[in-house]
Amino acid sequence: MTSLDQQSRPTLARGVRLRLDPITGEPVLLFPEGFLPLDDIMHDILRRCTGEATLESIISTLVEEYEIDHGTAEADVCECLLHLQQRILISFSK
Amino acid sequence: MFAAFAAANTNLLFQVNYRPYMLLAELTYGCPLHCPYCSNPVEFPGGRQLSTEEWRRVFHEGAELGVLHAGLSGGEPLLRADLVELVAAAHEAGLYTNLITSAVGLQPRRAAQLREAGLDSIQISFQSHQAGLADKIAGKAAHAIKLKAAEMVRELGFPLTVNVVLHRSNIDGIEPIILLAESLGAERLELANTQFYGWAFKNRGALLPTRDQINLALEVVAAQKSRLLGVMDILFVTPDYYSERPKPCMNGWGRQFLTVNPVGDVLPCPTASAIPGMRFENVRQRPLGWIWADSESFNRFRGADWMPVPCRDCSFREIDFGGCRCQAALITGDPNATDPACSLALHRDKLKSFVDSIPQNRGESPFAEKDLRFISFRQNPSP
Repeated sequence: MTSLDQQSRPTLARGVRLRLDPITGEPVLLFPEGFLPLDDIMHDILRRCTGEATLESIISTLVEEYEIDHGTAEADVCECLLHLQQRILISFSK
Repeated sequence: MFAAFAAANTNLLFQVNYRPYMLLAELTYGCPLHCPYCSNPVEFPGGRQLSTEEWRRVFHEGAELGVLHAGLSGGEPLLRADLVELVAAAHEAGLYTNLITSAVGLQPRRAAQLREAGLDSIQISFQSHQAGLADKIAGKAAHAIKLKAAEMVRELGFPLTVNVVLHRSNIDGIEPIILLAESLGAERLELANTQFYGWAFKNRGALLPTRDQINLALEVVAAQKSRLLGVMDILFVTPDYYSERPKPCMNGWGRQFLTVNPVGDVLPCPTASAIPGMRFENVRQRPLGWIWADSESFNRFRGADWMPVPCRDCSFREIDFGGCRCQAALITGDPNATDPACSLALHRDKLKSFVDSIPQNRGESPFAEKDLRFISFRQNPSP
């Protein structure tokens, strides 16, 4: 599962915008030709994908915030980001 | 474009109802190209083009209704001298803005201004991977211009979508087309088989690929998709003339999309003017919110009450909504009929007899010099 480099820094890909839906107040990811409504956990992951934080530090923050074990957090975050990377919505910089 | 939008959101199908997530702004019917599959109306509605201020109001009213995405299209939107202002207006209304263009007329200075005005992404159409064929299809030497424009778009940091409308003459080049889009650094590639409305319907005998061509294309796409996973997102839209189930057109009539045409008429789908007897409201006379919620045109095919047999009792009725109303009207003459792309449709034979009539050996390209006379190239109004 974790084919992602823990030291890489995930960031929203070109033209991908994280916004709050002005009608529902819910987070939504906007991208060319489409959008994806986000649940709170995905939102919490993606708002940290600024190109500053490493994947490792994002996972650690979520472990503390949600009081879950490291393995679960790592699996969830990597699954989410891999899926989004395959749709060219997330990229990873060193 | 719509197909991509719909595909991205199929998971939403049952969570949302009657909210216009996307507004297609057809800014002008004018276009420097003359593609024989153009889905612009064969006859243009009369009236003045909407002004900058009128579009500004449309974008703001759209945002209040829940629109998230504005597709700025045409015709060729670059022909609008006020395009930078229009992008800024949509951006200020809080909309995600996507320019859908041939790229003819996209000069570096203007592209930079569009970026400055808040344009989020650019979709460029290509007609083929070969300049000669591409220029023949477009009716203009545009291929080289497009290649340069795509490079510039990437240099400015825009995400790039390449769109190629597929038909009998270019679909065999699907692999080099994918390689071209990859070499341009596109994040997304839409390989959309021609949808037969407007000019494309007139030319469908020359445009519909053979079954073998489609099957081969599907194989190539599957292989290239897995090779390019995470590099370029490829969307392939099959022609519904060969399918058993109709497409869930627009994800349902008046459900998630609205189109505002160059003169301000508001349509549930961009080709809805193909339906005889439909009357569309205009943003000059009515607020967009009223048109969306209360107009006759937007309510005509909502829900299941309008549906004929077999749709009304069909378990797919909330999945494909009876298919496409424009296609039903074009092929059967009755916009209330089941889309003949459905194998259960009463008028299935009308589609099948056409499909069976096209030569299944692919023969010579209809774009070969001697066969050009069989194609009607659309003539565009001057902007």
